[in-house]
Amino acid sequence: MQAGLSTKNAPSPSVVLPHYAAGAIFFIIASVLLIFASHDLANTYIGPKILGLTHIMVLGWVTIIIFGALYQLIPVVMEVKLFSEPLAHISFYSIVVGTVLLSYSFWNNYIGKTIYMEIGGGLIFLSVILFAVNVLFSALKTTNKTIENTFIVTAAGWLFLTVSIGILITVNLVFHFIPKTSLELLRIHVHFGIAGWFMMLIIGVASTLLPMFFISHKLNKQYLKLSYFLTNSGLIILAVLMYFDVNMWLKGSAGLILLAGIIFFIKYNYDAYKKRLRKKLDIGMKLSVFAFIPLFLTLLFGILAVLNLDFLSKIQTSINTAYGVSLIFGFFTALILGQMYKTLPFIVWLKMYQDKVGKYKIPMPAHIYSEKVADWHYYSFLVAIFTLLIGIFAKESIIIQISAAAFIVTSVLYAYNTYKILFHKDQSELLETK
Amino acid sequence: MLENLSITEKQILERLKTIPDPEVEVNIVDLGLIYEIHHNEDEKSIHIIMTLSARGCPVGDTIMQHVETVVKAFLPEYDVKVELTWEPQWTPEMITPDGKAQLNM
Repeated sequence: MQAGLSTKNAPSPSVVLPHYAAGAIFFIIASVLLIFASHDLANTYIGPKILGLTHIMVLGWVTIIIFGALYQLIPVVMEVKLFSEPLAHISFYSIVVGTVLLSYSFWNNYIGKTIYMEIGGGLIFLSVILFAVNVLFSALKTTNKTIENTFIVTAAGWLFLTVSIGILITVNLVFHFIPKTSLELLRIHVHFGIAGWFMMLIIGVASTLLPMFFISHKLNKQYLKLSYFLTNSGLIILAVLMYFDVNMWLKGSAGLILLAGIIFFIKYNYDAYKKRLRKKLDIGMKLSVFAFIPLFLTLLFGILAVLNLDFLSKIQTSINTAYGVSLIFGFFTALILGQMYKTLPFIVWLKMYQDKVGKYKIPMPAHIYSEKVADWHYYSFLVAIFTLLIGIFAKESIIIQISAAAFIVTSVLYAYNTYKILFHKDQSELLETK
Repeated sequence: MLENLSITEKQILERLKTIPDPEVEVNIVDLGLIYEIHHNEDEKSIHIIMTLSARGCPVGDTIMQHVETVVKAFLPEYDVKVELTWEPQWTPEMITPDGKAQLNM
């Protein structure tokens, strides 16, 4: 086929779809567990239940869906076939089982040398290596070396480092060969995971998809190049300063470099939003645009968390908790909720109808899910995230439980639409030939 | 571009207006994706040159397949070739007034 066309490179739907199916279930589980973690969340930002919940969210919900979406997206943006589908299958089962075992052991405080943690951590490490290999070897084949693709490849590298440090923390608990506490190493692990893996990836993917769905043109790619340079250099400097525990103002400066990088990413996508062809946003884009509000909150709480200012000492724990919550439950979740509607219906639609276009009367991708249900979970999600932040600052577990109820509604409605799309039945009708 | 079209070529263009871009739900003609239509009666061939709104468009060859199917259904005895080009790159200025109205531009 003609150069530049990517649909022929698309992987088998059996590689991609299970990720969406599993992610939706993990989101429901995390929402239910939020009720039981509410007391801890009201009082601290670390503890067994919070660690268990965090790992279900970041691995089971965010990472699994990102893996699936990337297996579909890599062939699209890089214009190559995915390096290996069998590796993607193994990676999927490995991360699902690994997430259950690891989160279970965190939740029950079986940390360190326990069978659940060893097997769970090992499986996640395996899954991540297989994913990183798939991304890197696919990227090697591409001739389409855009800055967006570079972000995606770099993110896979940061993910590898994140998981390596995670494993190092648990091994160090037993052998103590690094003269650092788990909490000190955990900070680096968390920042590599958040700013290295998730942010790089989201910058790369969002900067590819959002302008495409907005149908925006003539955007200044220099913003993205600057963003790449600043986020990566800021993160490396921050990690070194954290390891050697240099004073907070220097760490704050490194954080500012990172922040500047994220601001250039926001600027690029804001321009895409301003120049968009479709003025009316569909539900997928509404959620994606909303995601930038919790991103702003994350940046604000992140700066305050690093600066650790005296006059805010009474609410410092809440700030630290809100930093992670606004990122994971806010930004990442909003983006995934929204982008599911921009990716999954197309994947299922292509599978079912691509050989029928023109010959049959077929529904459009937007018609294979319930828009009303999507609207409902848009509003329930707004209630959920803002109530959660209020509950954290009010230190009231009952408010967090109300938020958890709204998250349960959101996750169940989202899963309803996900499964409605996944189990969509052929609705084509043969066109009358003249 | 789409100037000096023959009657057959105009009829093809009208039929291509039945093909929506699945993302924006505006037809591909009004979106400005069809650059050239060539009808050759002697060779019994139709040659369509078109583009997509974004490189890496996930439904790209589905749209192109749709174009081929629609033209084949109209002129079954003709050989239909649909060619993708990125030159010139598509821009929103290529959207027709009808397309702009549908997009509330």
